[in-house]
Order: sequence, then structure tokens, then C-alpha cells
Amino acid sequence: MPLYVERRPERLITEEGIRTDGRLPHEMRPIKMMVGVLEKADGSAFVEWGGNRILAAVFGPREVHPKHMVLPDRALVRARYNMAPFSTPERRRPGPDRRSIELSKVIREALKPAIFVENYPGSVIDIFVEVLRSDAGTRVAGINAASLALASAGVAMRGLVSACSVGRVGSFIVVDPNHDEDMWGDSDMPLAMMMESEEITLLQADGTLSEEEFKEALNLGRKAIRFVYEVQKEALKRPYYLVERRVI
Amino acid sequence: MLFVRDREVVIPGQPLAKGKIKPGKDVYIDESGMIRSKKLGLVNLKEDEISIVPLVGAYIPKEEDLVIGIVSKISGNTILVDIRSPYQGALPVQRRAEKVDLKKYDLKIGDVILAKVRSFDGASSLILTIDAEGLGKLEGGYLLEVDPAKVPRVIGKRQSMLSILKEGTKSEIIVANNGRIWVKPPSVKELIALEKALRKIEEESHVSGLSDRISSLLSQELSR
Amino acid sequence: MFDQEILTHNLMKDYIRDLVEKGQRIDGRGLYEYRPIEVLDGTFTKAEGEAWLKLGETQVLVGVKADLGEPFPDTPDKGVFVSNAELLPVASPTFEPGPPDEGAIELARIVDRAIRSADAIDLGSLVILPGKLVYMIFLDMYVLDYDGNLEDSLTLASLIALGRSEIPEVELKGDGEIEVKERKRKLELKDIPINFSFVKIGSKILLDPTIEEESVSDASITVAINKDGKVCSIQKKHGTFKMEEILNIVSVAKSKWPELARVVREAI
Repeated sequence: MPLYVERRPERLITEEGIRTDGRLPHEMRPIKMMVGVLEKADGSAFVEWGGNRILAAVFGPREVHPKHMVLPDRALVRARYNMAPFSTPERRRPGPDRRSIELSKVIREALKPAIFVENYPGSVIDIFVEVLRSDAGTRVAGINAASLALASAGVAMRGLVSACSVGRVGSFIVVDPNHDEDMWGDSDMPLAMMMESEEITLLQADGTLSEEEFKEALNLGRKAIRFVYEVQKEALKRPYYLVERRVI
Repeated sequence: MLFVRDREVVIPGQPLAKGKIKPGKDVYIDESGMIRSKKLGLVNLKEDEISIVPLVGAYIPKEEDLVIGIVSKISGNTILVDIRSPYQGALPVQRRAEKVDLKKYDLKIGDVILAKVRSFDGASSLILTIDAEGLGKLEGGYLLEVDPAKVPRVIGKRQSMLSILKEGTKSEIIVANNGRIWVKPPSVKELIALEKALRKIEEESHVSGLSDRISSLLSQELSR
Repeated sequence: MFDQEILTHNLMKDYIRDLVEKGQRIDGRGLYEYRPIEVLDGTFTKAEGEAWLKLGETQVLVGVKADLGEPFPDTPDKGVFVSNAELLPVASPTFEPGPPDEGAIELARIVDRAIRSADAIDLGSLVILPGKLVYMIFLDMYVLDYDGNLEDSLTLASLIALGRSEIPEVELKGDGEIEVKERKRKLELKDIPINFSFVKIGSKILLDPTIEEESVSDASITVAINKDGKVCSIQKKHGTFKMEEILNIVSVAKSKWPELARVVREAI
């Protein structure tokens, strides 16, 4: 018996393109990222994106257990996406559901192409994404956090993976869909790329998009990802700049 | 054509240089011929070569490395040793070899040993040795840890930083390549000071003048 | 947690034991001294009440969620209170993903027992229609970073999260329909039962063990004390204790209660 009932908003977007949270179609929600939030993990990052609060941690490269999963010529990459019971308005039962299992796979496949797995034969790199507070776009926020965690663990990578979702609400292509748009919009397309090489490592979509709309969404996504990439870069370098300023 | 300065902090994938310069450690060349960093690290620019010195990372064994290991399993003629690496070390008990001090191999699970990497095939077979003088079980003292990427900084040029740590705390210190550091301080006060010094080295290794800052940290800690 | 194989080595065992015999600890603390406690500012969940707490380098995040449901058949006049703890894999290289193991389950039950025995939550006030409809309060405890003493840190965070919780008021309409109101009510804490965890190393007793101290310890025990100085829950974990040792432990715990209760009150 839920204490929270969702109500669909009257309008998802006005004729001028004003969204339910006041944003224009090309505006992103506020994003904050920081690394090194956990001590025991080899690398960790925390992302605040809109109302999302996502923690990512990396262990590895490390010994593989169970031994039979070892790949002799490269690192095994494992990822787990998990939502906390208190991450949603209605409490979620702990444990993986089908969606979490699919997202774990999709996140692994978004990050693996960026890792030089051949540098670490016979080992495993474990990636954990914990959604503490969910507010639409958790998988892309999780990928951004996990990229930072990997880099701050010292894993050899081709580059960071940066991600953002794009959606369609009526005739508008909107960047970084909010909760209302995710629930009741006409299409949602999460996208991740290795920014430096512009290779796409995550692409999913639901709803419907004409070919024109799809092209527009991809382009908007690419622009948004460029912005996200800059936020990630700054988060990785920040601890070192802060120390420089403190010392000098 | 250079896109970064020497000692600049760079991230994985960051473009470093293109053209006549040679690629060194922890960099790669992309399809367009651009040299890029593989890791979060500092640019190390030599005359004709560009490398990255990682700021953090797991220990990957190299032959001749000094490592501090913890005996984790003893089965038959092989002693398995954890060296804080994705690769587990094996210490074969050399009964047949000459000049082997068999007493050295009288080890128990949980014992801490100073060893050398004899061979590593890069993927699964890591063989250690404790036969040389000075190697073997470590007695007394405590183990501290530092990120393996920071070991050179803990030692310093011509052991300068290590001397500061040893003299500043009147402790015996052995720094191993795998990021483990054996210390024998006169009291727990010096142990705590050493811990603080190691954390500071990890955080500030990229800013010059570290030796002075560590010296003053140690005198501050130990004068209380 | 003591059967966790954090890689202990014999130098650690010997050094810590020798130090402790002299009444010293590797981080310079007194035998009955707590590490610094910090409660982070900010909103990290969608819980009705939450707390992200650090005890030294141990970090935990607790969220309280409310729902409506049927009471347990044997207590039709009480709301439902359920506790759950998870040792997240991010917290330690030794934690594997999966359902809670005996360690996690014991942790949840230790925290739950302290809260329940002290009646810290008035479960009677959570009834909407006796026997039919009550509030269900879920206490979800997440371990984010493991550096020893999860019992005490989770208890403190849980008390703060509960004390901060605000649940929507509910009105039962004539036609049997339930209306959830905008107005919220606080889930007030009637007591502050705090868990104090001790370990024995050699002949000495230590409070608030770090992960190293836990792993070299000979015995461990957690005692909960409430606002009246009463013992409201005890859990001995591994090893053995003499009676005098336990009496001393209870006495030390009682003396430390005001210090930690203040932390909880200030955070709420």
C-alpha cells in the first residue's frame, strides 16, 4: 500500500518548450562530481546530478575469484548496478531485479571498450554502481561516476567514458530528461561515448523517434556529453590543484 | 607538437603530443598518430620522449623488484605469498640448490617476508626468492602501506626522502616496490608520525618541495 | 565480521598485542576512546529520515522508509518495524555482492534489538486501524566503507535517521479509502539506546575497535545502554569473557553514553 502516489503532470512541456522543472530543451540539470570518497575501494566517485546521488567504486585489477573465471590474456571486467531500498519514493526490496541485471550488463559494455584489458591478463576489474537516490538518468550518471572511479584507481584506459540521456517530449528533443519526462515522455535515449575518439559505447532507446528526430537526438546527446566530459575532467584533476594551492 | 607541459596532471585519453616525439611509458598512439595518456598521471617530458608517471595504480610485478609479502598458503613444496597485487607470488622451496639456508623456509601462514621477484610471465606465474642475503622473514616492527605508484617518491632521489623519514623518526624502514613498507619505530608516536608522512607524500607528491614539508611535519608531530 | 579474512599478518598481531599490553593503541587513542564521529550535511537518499555517518574511516548510510500495511498477527496493536543491513561490496575488498550473510544479518539484529528493547519507537502510535492498517517502518542500513565497528556506527546513524524521520499523516475515510495527507508527523525517538562495541586483546579491553584491532582480537562484545543507564541488549560475538570483564564493560559503556547521546541529539 503505497504512501506515495505519482500523478502525471498536466503538461510535460509548453509550446515555448518550457519543461516541468522550468528548463528549456537544451538545458541540463546541475551536476557535481567528486572522487576519492571511499577509503577501502581502489577508486571511487560520487555524482550529484539533479536529484540523483550515485556512488561508484572500483576494485582492481585484482586476483580473480572464483579461479575458473580467469581470462589468461586479459582482465575480466565485471559491473554491478544496484539501487538502494531508500533510493526511490516507495521502498525497493533489496536485491537485484531484472532491470538492475540488464543495467549491470549495459554498464559493463559501456566501460569495457575504454579499458586496456590486455594490460592486466589473468586479473579482474570490479565496478560497483550504487544508486543512493534516484531521479531519472541513473545509468548514465552511474557510467560517469564509474569512469571517474576507474581513472582514479589508476586503471589504464583509452579515455574517459561520458554519458547523458536525451529524450523526446512531443515535438521537442530534450536533453537530460527529468523524472516526469522519463515516466511519461515519448522517448528516452541514454548515450555514452569515449569523448576523445567519439566512439559510442552505450546506446539504448525506447518509445519512438523518426529518423530526423533520432539524428537530432544524437547530436544533442553528443553536445551534452562534451559538457559532461569537462565536468569529469575537472573532478579528476581537482584534488591535485587543491593541494597545489594549499601548499604554495 | 606538444599539447602539455612537463609535470602537468593529465587524465586517461588526454592528447599529449604528435609528430617527432617518441612514446614512452603508459601512453598510446591513436589512429591519427596522436600520443595520448593511458592513465591519470604526471607528464614526464624528456628530450625526445614523452611518458606518463602514474599518480596511482595497482602493483604489477617486475623481475628484480623488492617486495614485502604475507605468507597465505603452504602446500607441499610451494609457499604462496600475497604481495598486494593481482598476481599471487609463489616461493618454491629449493631443497636441491646449493647455498640455500633451509631455515629461511621455515615459514608459517601470516609471516611477513622480504623477497625479490625472480620471474614473472606477465599473466599467471610469479616466482619469488628469499635466498639472497637480507631477504627472508621480517621480525618485529609493523607494516604500513602506500600506493605502489608513490614508492619512488617515498624513496626519493638518491634515497633522500627515505633518509628524512628514517632520521626524522629514528626508525628502521624498508620500502618495497609493491607499496608495502616495513617500519620499526622506537614507539607508537613515531609510527603515527610515519603514517601521517606517508599520507602527505601520497597527496602532495606532484608538488615540489615535498622533502621540506615532510621534515617539518615530522618535527611537528614528534615535538608534542 | 571477525571471521572476515582481512589479510592479517603476524607482525600486526604481535605489534598490536604488545602495544595494547602497555595500554596503547596504533592510532594513539585511549583504550576507551572513540574515533572522531562526523555526520555529513546534505540529502543523499529519498528516505523519510537519513544519516551518512563517519566513525573514523568507517562510513555508513542509513535510510528510514515508511509504508502502510497489515500488522503482524500476534501484535495487532503495534506498527511494523523491520531492520535490514547490507555490507556493500564497495566497502571492502572482502565483501562480495549477494544477499546478506550471517555477519550482515547479525548486525541488523543487533541494531534492531537495541531499538526494540528500549522501545525507542512508539510502535503503538503507528496504528491506524488496529489489526488492519498500520505504518511499516523500514530501517535500511548501508555499509559504505569498512574500517571496524559497524555495530556502533550503524546504531548511531539509525537513531539519527529515525529521529529525523517525518512520515505523511494518513486519514481513514468513511468508505474505507485511505487518504494520504500533505501534513507530516515526526517519528519521535522515545529513547536513545546506543551500542558500544568492545574487543579483548590479551588482557586488555578496548572500545571502538578499528578493523586491525577487530582482526587480531581474542573476543568481542556489543552492549547497548539506554537513557536510564540500563542495559537493553547484549551480543557477545567471538571468544570468551570473564564475568568481571563484562561488568567492567557495562560500566564503561554507561559512562560513555552521554557523550554519544549528545552526538545523536545534535544531529537530529
